[in-house]
Amino acid sequence: MKRLSLTAALLSAVMLSGCGSSHKIETAAVIENVSVDSRGGQIYYTFFRLTGGDTPDGTEIPADSFEQACDLARREYIPNLSLAKLELLMINRDICGEVLKRDIEYISTQSSFSPMAYFTLCDSQTLKSVCENTSVQQLIEEQLALCKSQNADVNISYLSLFNSYSRADSGDVTVPYVSCDGEIRISAIKISK
Amino acid sequence: MQQEVRFSSKRFFLTLMLCACSVILLQNGDVSQSSSFAFNVVCVAVGLFICFLMFIPAAVIKRRTDADVFTLLQGRSVSALRAVAVFYALYFIYTAEFFLLPYTDMFCKKYYSDAPPCVISFLVLAGCVYAAFKGINVITRFGIFLFAFAMLTNVLIFGGSLSSLNLANNSFSFEGDPADFLKNTAYFITPGFIAVLFACLSSYVNGFRLRQTAVSLLLTGVKFICILFFVCFAVGAYASRQEYQSFVLSRVAHLGSFAGIESFLTGVSTMSVFMITSLVLCCIGKGFGKSKSLPFISFAAAVIFIIHLAAAYNQSVAMFFTAPLLFDSLTLAAAVIAPVGCYWLIRRSSREKT
Repeated sequence: MKRLSLTAALLSAVMLSGCGSSHKIETAAVIENVSVDSRGGQIYYTFFRLTGGDTPDGTEIPADSFEQACDLARREYIPNLSLAKLELLMINRDICGEVLKRDIEYISTQSSFSPMAYFTLCDSQTLKSVCENTSVQQLIEEQLALCKSQNADVNISYLSLFNSYSRADSGDVTVPYVSCDGEIRISAIKISK
Repeated sequence: MQQEVRFSSKRFFLTLMLCACSVILLQNGDVSQSSSFAFNVVCVAVGLFICFLMFIPAAVIKRRTDADVFTLLQGRSVSALRAVAVFYALYFIYTAEFFLLPYTDMFCKKYYSDAPPCVISFLVLAGCVYAAFKGINVITRFGIFLFAFAMLTNVLIFGGSLSSLNLANNSFSFEGDPADFLKNTAYFITPGFIAVLFACLSSYVNGFRLRQTAVSLLLTGVKFICILFFVCFAVGAYASRQEYQSFVLSRVAHLGSFAGIESFLTGVSTMSVFMITSLVLCCIGKGFGKSKSLPFISFAAAVIFIIHLAAAYNQSVAMFFTAPLLFDSLTLAAAVIAPVGCYWLIRRSSREKT
């Protein structure tokens, strides 16, 4: 009788834990990379889904900030949006002064983002290439890791960039910059806080 | 009903140390952000020294009578035993909530946002009821396994954070004001609850030495300082923007491409809270002379669960059960005032008889 009641209690506990209703991972909502570009004075955030194919699956969302873009994406474009697997944030260098600090501030308050995820500044040609081939994103991530090993001062993650902005020691922050002139090249540039 | 057996005091203090370490794992903005690392180290030292002082009354009772608070009163003063048992039961219910509430909150906010907090607490309590039914000897044996797992987790977290370590993130200067000192020290006194566990369960242990207490608290302090150091210099200002800083540290830690060390930290936190709750249930049962009675332990767990439910729906209830200063005051009463009072009562009744 004791064993029977214990088994019943365990089964009810398992059912209560949520195992009764299966949850499928919505891969179409898992975002791997985000690019930020500007056209005609409007900022566009492109959310690239996790995909095994060669062609990136991106959703372009016009918004004034990353926070607004995430809200809009959840409400209108990608209902089950998951940013827990976000690996790379790519920002057009031309709008970095407007976007970079504000978006990193927002990311630092969100528990779902990994602090060690990468970010980089890019030129327009690189952002176009990112939209055409998934291998470009992987290549950029590899190059970023290489850039960090060669130059310890460069901030390639949200964590190190946020901490660099928080420090009061100097007026400049060293960040990576990806340019595409036939091939992907990465360099460290200084931007003012 | 099974009988408890005596076991090594060293094993018991290993378990107590693991329980004390859970305080820093569940830290959520309880350490002032404006105070520097060196200042926090002083607060840790002062806080844990006060914890050590809290052990002295129970240690004296153990050395002189080889008994704990409950066995001291058994067969001598029934009314005093009932009053003390009720007081300790209330204290231990508060203690269980003090750890269970932040744990479920951390689990749901940081690790698995889809899980309802009450379901998590229900599952933890169900496991704890079984562990408490098996007895303190079994729980302390589990502590040996947990110690090995905690060591592995520490190596992974601290080793994995070395690559993110940047001494420019903060300064080694001594910065902090009296308000910070009070806030931080009050928080670092919270491991003092292990003195209460010792006061209630010390009759089960053999070979007690006061230096075991000192070593346990010293190792606890080392762990606290290591976590504070890496949070300060590896996570830096980012930590102040996030909840549960130790969890953020485990997220930052990575060894090459091997990441996801937060799973290990969640595992250690889960098992530490599990051990604390199980020991608490053992203590409540022991106070009423029913240390291994399943219905009694289940009733105590049900009360804890109902309070947890109330805290989930009412923020003020949650705040009441997670206030470090109130917890410290109750710990002081349970670790110092109650044992001293019991000992004085027994000495007085012995003198009257003679």
